Amino acid sequence: MTDRDFDDLVDVEGLDADEAARLRRVHELLLEAGPPADLPPTLERPPTEKREADILQFPLLPRRRLAAAVVLAAALAAAAFGAGFLVGEQRGGTRFDVVRVIPMRGSGGALASIQMGKRDEAGNWQMHFSVSGLPKQKEGGYYNLYLVKRGKPVVLCGSFRVRDHTTTVTFTVPYKAKRFEGWVVTEQPPGHHTPGRVVLST
Amino acid sequence: MRGMAFAVSMPTIAPVTHESDAELIQRAGAGDRSAFDALYRRYARPVFGLALRRLGDRGRAEDAVQETFASIWRSARTYKPERGPGAPWLYAVARNAIVDRGRARPEPATDAPDEASSDPGPPDRAEQSWVAWRIHRALEELPEREREVIALAYWSGLSQSEVAEFLGIPLGTVKTRTRAALQRLSQILEGEL
Repeated sequence: MTDRDFDDLVDVEGLDADEAARLRRVHELLLEAGPPADLPPTLERPPTEKREADILQFPLLPRRRLAAAVVLAAALAAAAFGAGFLVGEQRGGTRFDVVRVIPMRGSGGALASIQMGKRDEAGNWQMHFSVSGLPKQKEGGYYNLYLVKRGKPVVLCGSFRVRDHTTTVTFTVPYKAKRFEGWVVTEQPPGHHTPGRVVLST
Repeated sequence: MRGMAFAVSMPTIAPVTHESDAELIQRAGAGDRSAFDALYRRYARPVFGLALRRLGDRGRAEDAVQETFASIWRSARTYKPERGPGAPWLYAVARNAIVDRGRARPEPATDAPDEASSDPGPPDRAEQSWVAWRIHRALEELPEREREVIALAYWSGLSQSEVAEFLGIPLGTVKTRTRAALQRLSQILEGEL
């Protein structure tokens, strides 16, 4: 903040004393407030429309955890609305209609949500996967999102790396999710080629 | 010259409506998307600024903005205009969302300092945040050419002559616009000065 002199900045000639005092007060408040933040491009546009998404419930979840997960998914759905994810988002002119939200939880407070889009005519569907609370991996390491069958990660949906806060990536897959028990995220340390430790699950 | 980049990128948001905050909140509470969008245009920058000051991290501040507006959309129907104007209500919603975001990843523990800090304490910081909130909200209502002059005159480090040169307008016009902007801000902040 630069401490500017009111008399240098404002021509008070012709103003009565009360008006000049009011302008001086505004001047002081401007100095006290400092400059407004430069809004990042991601926040320049508000969300575009309200939609509700279903919450898919997997039999994999124990009953008590299921209730908590449904609450979490509702919160994530609401938060995603604010983020412009759930709301018929338009990125590069492509509309993304969310039809289901699936919550995921992990150790150490890691949270994630999968927002499933509509299937296209060929049977492909997009998912927006948002995750927070996972540690950054070493150079060459990454995470994998798998569909689970018989308790094991069997079908890869995509791979990703994380940064400090929430990371959101988009995958497109042709699988029928209901044929599976849920999803897990596994670590993929550098140099390994098989699924590592599970860090998040539905 | 950091202020130059700021001043040029500042007017990126669409013009605002002249409806009061309270009216917009009530309409948003009834599910009116255009009212919600108007609130977003009016408050996105003040919320982001507040979050940035409190959290000190642009990524987390972006998340806090998203959470704030999700919360505004969810809770706008609970706003009671008879209990007070809209700006303090929005400030409270934003502050809560930012505090929640701050709790989500606590600061690492540090050793106690040997001497008392000369930085403002929590009450002073709260007052500064509220001042910044009101001023930055009011700036969104200025015409672009006045907002630009204010940004350059107050925060770029340029003299009035340099501002005139930068904008390619006479020095007298810079002074006229500065005075007009302060008068308009004074009207917007009427009752709060």
